[in-house]
Amino acid sequence: MEASITLKKVGKLVGDKTILASLTFGVERGSLVAIIGDNEAGKSMLLKVISGIEYQEFGHVFINGLDSQKRRLEVLSSIGFVPHEIDLDPWLTLEENIRFMGMMYGIDIEMVNTRMIQLARELHIIPYLKSMVQDISPGIVKKGMILRALIHDPDILIMDEPTAFMDAESYRHTWDLLLRLRGEKTILYVSQSLKEVEEAHDRILVLEDGRIALDGSLDKLLGSTFEFHQFQIEFEELSDDLFKQLSKLPKVKNPSRIGHSIHFYGRERNVFFEVLNAATAAIMKDVSVKKLGLQDLMDAKFAKDGIH
Amino acid sequence: MTTVSFMVMLPLLLHIGITMVMKNIVVQSIDQVPYDVWVFPGIILLIASVSTFSLIYRDLFDLRIHKKSFIPITLAPYGKTHLVIGFLVTSIIESLVYVIVAMGVLTVLLPEPLNWSAYFIVPLFTLLYTFLLGNLIITFSVLTDRISTYLSITIFMFLFILFATGVLVEFDFYPKTIGTLLSYFPLSMILSDLRGILFFNRVEWGPIMIPVATALGWTWLNGYMLKRKLKQ
Repeated sequence: MEASITLKKVGKLVGDKTILASLTFGVERGSLVAIIGDNEAGKSMLLKVISGIEYQEFGHVFINGLDSQKRRLEVLSSIGFVPHEIDLDPWLTLEENIRFMGMMYGIDIEMVNTRMIQLARELHIIPYLKSMVQDISPGIVKKGMILRALIHDPDILIMDEPTAFMDAESYRHTWDLLLRLRGEKTILYVSQSLKEVEEAHDRILVLEDGRIALDGSLDKLLGSTFEFHQFQIEFEELSDDLFKQLSKLPKVKNPSRIGHSIHFYGRERNVFFEVLNAATAAIMKDVSVKKLGLQDLMDAKFAKDGIH
Repeated sequence: MTTVSFMVMLPLLLHIGITMVMKNIVVQSIDQVPYDVWVFPGIILLIASVSTFSLIYRDLFDLRIHKKSFIPITLAPYGKTHLVIGFLVTSIIESLVYVIVAMGVLTVLLPEPLNWSAYFIVPLFTLLYTFLLGNLIITFSVLTDRISTYLSITIFMFLFILFATGVLVEFDFYPKTIGTLLSYFPLSMILSDLRGILFFNRVEWGPIMIPVATALGWTWLNGYMLKRKLKQ
C-alpha cells in the first residue's frame, strides 16, 4: 500500500523538553488511524507537526511523498485539520466561516456551496449554518469545524478529539460521515475516549513520552502485549493448595488471589474450562469472563509490564 | 450602523477637539496657510491611523491571541508574506472608506474649499501612509502576546503619531535637533510631502520613495517574523 504520511526520525523540542522523540512510521493511504496516550505524551504535537502548524526540529515529514517543509504550499492543500479547541470566528456565521476558508483555498464559490450543503446535511447542521458561531452549542460548532476542514476536499484529515463536546446523536452523525470517508481519505485522529478508538480504527498508535509504545490494530496490540481474556472465579473457600494447583496450569497467566477469588488471564476461552475441571471439587460462588479492551491496555501496569 | 456613526463622529470630534482649539493658538502655518486648512491632511491621516490600529487588531492580533481561526488561515496554501499583504490590503481598503467619509464631513467645515485634485491626492497618500503604518502595527501584533502590552504600545504609538509626526504643528516649532530628527521619520515624510503637494504644488520624490521602499522591505520582514513566531 502507498504511504500517505511518512515520518522519518521526527523530533520536536519545546524549550529543552523533548515532546516527540525520533518518530518513524508511515500511514497508508485511506486508512483510519487513532492515536492514544496519556496527557503530555505528545499526541497533539504530533498532529500539529504532521499538519504543518509547527515544524519539527529534527527529521522529515512527507505528505504524499512531498517533504512538508520544502514543499509546504503544495502539501497544505492535501491536509484538513480540526483542532481540539473551538477556533471559528465567533463574529461570523457558521456558513461565513466555512465559505471564508473555502475561498482561502481558492475553491470556486459554487463548489464551496455544493460541498457545504452536502456535508452539512450529513452532519445534520443545516439549520445552524446561518447562525452566529457564538450562539451555537460547542458540539455543533465542532461538527462545523469538521465541515470546514473538509471544504477543500483534502486527501488527509487530521483531527484532535473530533467528537469533543458532542452528544450521542452528533457523535453518531460525525462517525457516520467519517466512516463513509474511510478508504477515500486518510484519517488520523487523537482521542481520549478509548471506546471511540475501539470502535473506529484500522490501526492504533499508543504514544508514551513522545515515542510510539505500541502500534497495530486492537487485536494485535492486545495479543502482543498480553492475553485476550481476564477470568475470575470466586470460591466459597479457596485453599492455598487449590490456588497453587490452578496457578500451575500451563495456559493460566498472571494468576492472583483476592480473598477467595482467583484472577487470571488466558488467550483462549477454553483455559477457563480447564480451570473449572481442575477445581470441580471446590464449591464455586461466581464466575466471570471479560474480553480485554484498550482501557486494560492503557492501564500503566499492564502496558509497561505485560503479563508473564 | 455603529460603524457608520463612528465614521461620521470621529472627524467631527477631531475638528472640534483639535482644529477649533488650535486655530486660535497657531492661526496660520509658517507658510501662511490658514491653520484649519493646513491641519486638514493631518486630521485625515490621524483618522487613517485610528482605523488601521483597530482593523489590524481585529484581523490579526485578536484572531491570533484568542485562537480564533488564525491557525486555519495560516494553513491555507499561501506564504506568510502573502498573508501579511492580505492583512495590509484589507486595512488599506477599509481605512480608505473611513478617510473618504471623513473628507466629506470635514469639507463642509473648512472655511475655504480644497482644490478638486485634493480628493484624489489625499486618498493616494492615505494608501501609502496606511501601507507603512499597517506594517508597524503588524510588527507588534506579531511580537506581542498580551493585550495589556499591545494596548500600551498602541497608546504610545498613537501619541507619537499625534505629537511627533507633524499632525498638529510644524517641525519648525520643535527644538531644532528634535524637529530635524522627527522630520526624517517615514510617516512624517508622507504627511510633509502631502502638504507640499496640496498647498504649494511641490512634489518631492524622496519623501515618497523612502516610505514606499521602507514599507516594501517591512512587509517582507513581517512575513519572516510571522513565520518565525508561528514556527511554521
